[in-house]
Amino acid sequence: MKKKLFTVVALLIVVGVVCGARKLLTPKPKKVAEVHVQSARQEGDPHARVKVVEFIDFQCPACATGMKMLRTYFEKYPHDIFIQVKYFPLTNMHRHAMVSALYSECSSRQNKFWELDALILDQQKQWELLINPEPVFQSMAQQVGMNMAQLNACVASDDARLVINEEKAAGQTLGIKSTPTYFINNQMVVGTKSMEEVMKRLFPTK
Amino acid sequence: MWVLIRLAIGCIFLLSSFSTLLSPYQNFLYVVQAYQMLPSWAELLVAHTMPWFELLVGFLVFFGLWTSLGLRLAAVLFGTFIVVVGQALLRGLPLESCGCFGEWIHLKPQMVLILDSASLLTVLLLLGRLQGVKNLSLDAWFDKNERRS
Repeated sequence: MKKKLFTVVALLIVVGVVCGARKLLTPKPKKVAEVHVQSARQEGDPHARVKVVEFIDFQCPACATGMKMLRTYFEKYPHDIFIQVKYFPLTNMHRHAMVSALYSECSSRQNKFWELDALILDQQKQWELLINPEPVFQSMAQQVGMNMAQLNACVASDDARLVINEEKAAGQTLGIKSTPTYFINNQMVVGTKSMEEVMKRLFPTK
Repeated sequence: MWVLIRLAIGCIFLLSSFSTLLSPYQNFLYVVQAYQMLPSWAELLVAHTMPWFELLVGFLVFFGLWTSLGLRLAAVLFGTFIVVVGQALLRGLPLESCGCFGEWIHLKPQMVLILDSASLLTVLLLLGRLQGVKNLSLDAWFDKNERRS
């Protein structure tokens, strides 16, 4: 009897400690709005009823699938969705995560983010196998009509890298561990399956 | 030596449960979804309950409280992991590239399978050496007090 009582009390204490720690460590949803994003990396009406903030790694296959899904919804409901993209390159896992994010960030500085983003994600399977994917990114940049001198200066600068690292650090404080992670109306959603389920609930007619 | 192995097994479960419980549950849900084994409602149920179950097992095994029960539950968990990872390997699911485990865990599924199998064998071995395993445990302390009274 004594042992059973001890077990129950001990387990309750452990559960209490873990619940307390979770409460202290759980990020507050409003924090996601505090992560600054350049206007070129957002699309739609900021007052739309569905706000999606995506933390992306351009070498992550699920991110490519997720972005396609998201674009489909956006094309169908352009007035109801607001999309923001933030960087979360998994640099320890994907060798080209940082360089692809750099090109993406530099494209946003020339208002070409969505065009280059689509190409980078669409052709992910081709460039991810290369030792140096930069010639492919350069060719994509030319294809979307970017100023190449500006692009090269931007890619070489520390500034673009700093923005990416800052956004990743902000993502980590929100509890992000993998990609794609979305915040849909401030609710954290990880992976394309969960994102699709939430979007289906929000747009039941699709 | 048996005690040290018991503590190590308990530690594995405690650390695993803490890291899962102290981060948003959606991260673990993504891991569960990666194995493509369950319907959505069951994935959600597993994402919410599995870390607590691991915490319970880790607690029982580490402190040696109801040691036999704790080790049996640990064996069930390792057995489950083997089935889950094994089916993913057989189906060729892209577990490594999905980013489901974050960027710090690089263990290949094959390696996970080997580690889980080794852990299951170790737990079964511990179950066969319960007397030695119970040294420095709460079970031993309660048994001693019971004999005294």
